[in-house]
Amino acid sequence: MNRLLLTILLAVLPLSVQAQGLVAGISQDQIQITSNYAGSDVVVFGDVQQQTDNSENAPVGKPDVVVVVRGQAADMAVRRKAHVAGVWVNSTKITLNDIPAYYFAASTRPLSQIASVQTLKLYQIGAANVQPQGTSTTNSVKAEPFRRALIAERKRDRLYLEAPHGVEFLGTTLFRAHVPIPAGAPTGQYTVEVYVIRDGQVLDVQSTPFFVDQIGLERDLHHFAFHWPLTYGLVTMLMALLFGWLSSAIFRQT
Amino acid sequence: MEIYLPIAAMSVHWLVILLMGAAVGFLSGMFGVGGGFLLTPLLIFYGIPSEVAVATTASHITASSMSGAITQWRRRSVDMTMATVMLIGGVVGTGFGVWLFGLLRKAGQSEIVVAGGYVILLSTVGGLMLNESIRTLLAARSGQAAPVSRLQHHSWIHRLPFKMRFRQSRLYISVLPPLLLGAFVGMLSAILGVGGGFVIVPAMIYLLRVPTNIVMGTSLVQILCVTAVTTVLQAATNNNVDILLAALLISGGVIGAQFGVRMAARLRGEQLRFLLAVLVLAVGARLLYGLVATPIDLYSVTVLGAGQ
Repeated sequence: MNRLLLTILLAVLPLSVQAQGLVAGISQDQIQITSNYAGSDVVVFGDVQQQTDNSENAPVGKPDVVVVVRGQAADMAVRRKAHVAGVWVNSTKITLNDIPAYYFAASTRPLSQIASVQTLKLYQIGAANVQPQGTSTTNSVKAEPFRRALIAERKRDRLYLEAPHGVEFLGTTLFRAHVPIPAGAPTGQYTVEVYVIRDGQVLDVQSTPFFVDQIGLERDLHHFAFHWPLTYGLVTMLMALLFGWLSSAIFRQT
Repeated sequence: MEIYLPIAAMSVHWLVILLMGAAVGFLSGMFGVGGGFLLTPLLIFYGIPSEVAVATTASHITASSMSGAITQWRRRSVDMTMATVMLIGGVVGTGFGVWLFGLLRKAGQSEIVVAGGYVILLSTVGGLMLNESIRTLLAARSGQAAPVSRLQHHSWIHRLPFKMRFRQSRLYISVLPPLLLGAFVGMLSAILGVGGGFVIVPAMIYLLRVPTNIVMGTSLVQILCVTAVTTVLQAATNNNVDILLAALLISGGVIGAQFGVRMAARLRGEQLRFLLAVLVLAVGARLLYGLVATPIDLYSVTVLGAGQ
């Protein structure tokens, strides 16, 4: 629902306000996670042309640029522990549907100085404003602490990130931001959204996708384990038997 | 170098895992146990998801018991009839355990059952072992022979039906006790990732009255088969066996075990058992603390899969 609204907003927005002449691009449209991948950056860069407005109410100063990156949407189960008979056990479970597995927001200034809370919420700018498309409960008050817990957990795992000064201007119109893709980054389609905001108003937005894929041995093994589980189990078992037999053979020699 | 584990879905340092396998292998070589009861908690402390830790440890025990079983087989100290009967029970128990584990995982309770099961298991085994080793140590100090605890003759076992001859063990007993013992250990293997040597060995000696020289070989064959079946069933049903993690653990384990066996020759039996008991109780206490202490974060997140 929220996401749908957002999509509609993004679609109609450039028409309803003065276009800022935003041109943005990314350094690579594919990141391949290999076995020794230790994290890398996607560079988002662009150009915001100042409009030639000579009227009295022409805005002064540079506009703000916010770069938001969302990873592939995923369904996540959040469980709350409860104290039962002296022991902590998982009790309440709420599923949050279609929530980005990765989130990054970089801006020229801290977000609170750029736009109002309502605007940030509307566009889901800032990790705290990330919303699922739906939840397993219709009670939004009940789901709220679970959503917050998920965001806190993702932040701890460095999968939800914020860089309040992450967008830097090179000269007057050129800007650049580094988007960190850590080793544990989930695979799938990522969407880069570049917002141009002035006086708390979103003036322009551009969206570009890129992909994060796992390649190499790990991917093949994962594929093997999930597509031929029985064969995979047998191979693992045979490997264990072989190692055991080898060690006894070597042990006998020494 | 960091290695990404495909099933555990996390990066680990290969040397840490190798050393963990080696340390557990060392202890298992020293004490003559499989070491599953130490390896699973260690992996969980390191951050491996508990279900992956449980399932992958089973393959580690397969390797270490294979090595031991071959040696025992050469010494002709395996009662294949007994092993087969226990195995039939074992396969049924493992199948049930794997199924139950899948249910618990779906309900989000696999962690608590694994941790709780370990606390009960480790405190019982550790407590019994500590008690026994201290008695022996004290008796040795006062210059007396250790009091040998003679268990009563379990006549109820002899009254059970379906008797069968176990030639190598020189026994004529009902098939039910070994069958049930096998099933129970199979279930433990699936749910807790332990081989169950510490349950089988005393039960065979005291309940079934199998000659001690036959016990080690027969239990090793049983453990080998049960953990091998557990590995395959866990992979096939719950997709939670990590082959890279297994390869690292096993490589470390088989090397560590060789050193452990050599170290064991230098220490006395009761000293070894005392050390093991302390270790077992320490691991149990740590797990209990995790269950009872107020968690830093009440919430936990599981990614269910890609949306849309």
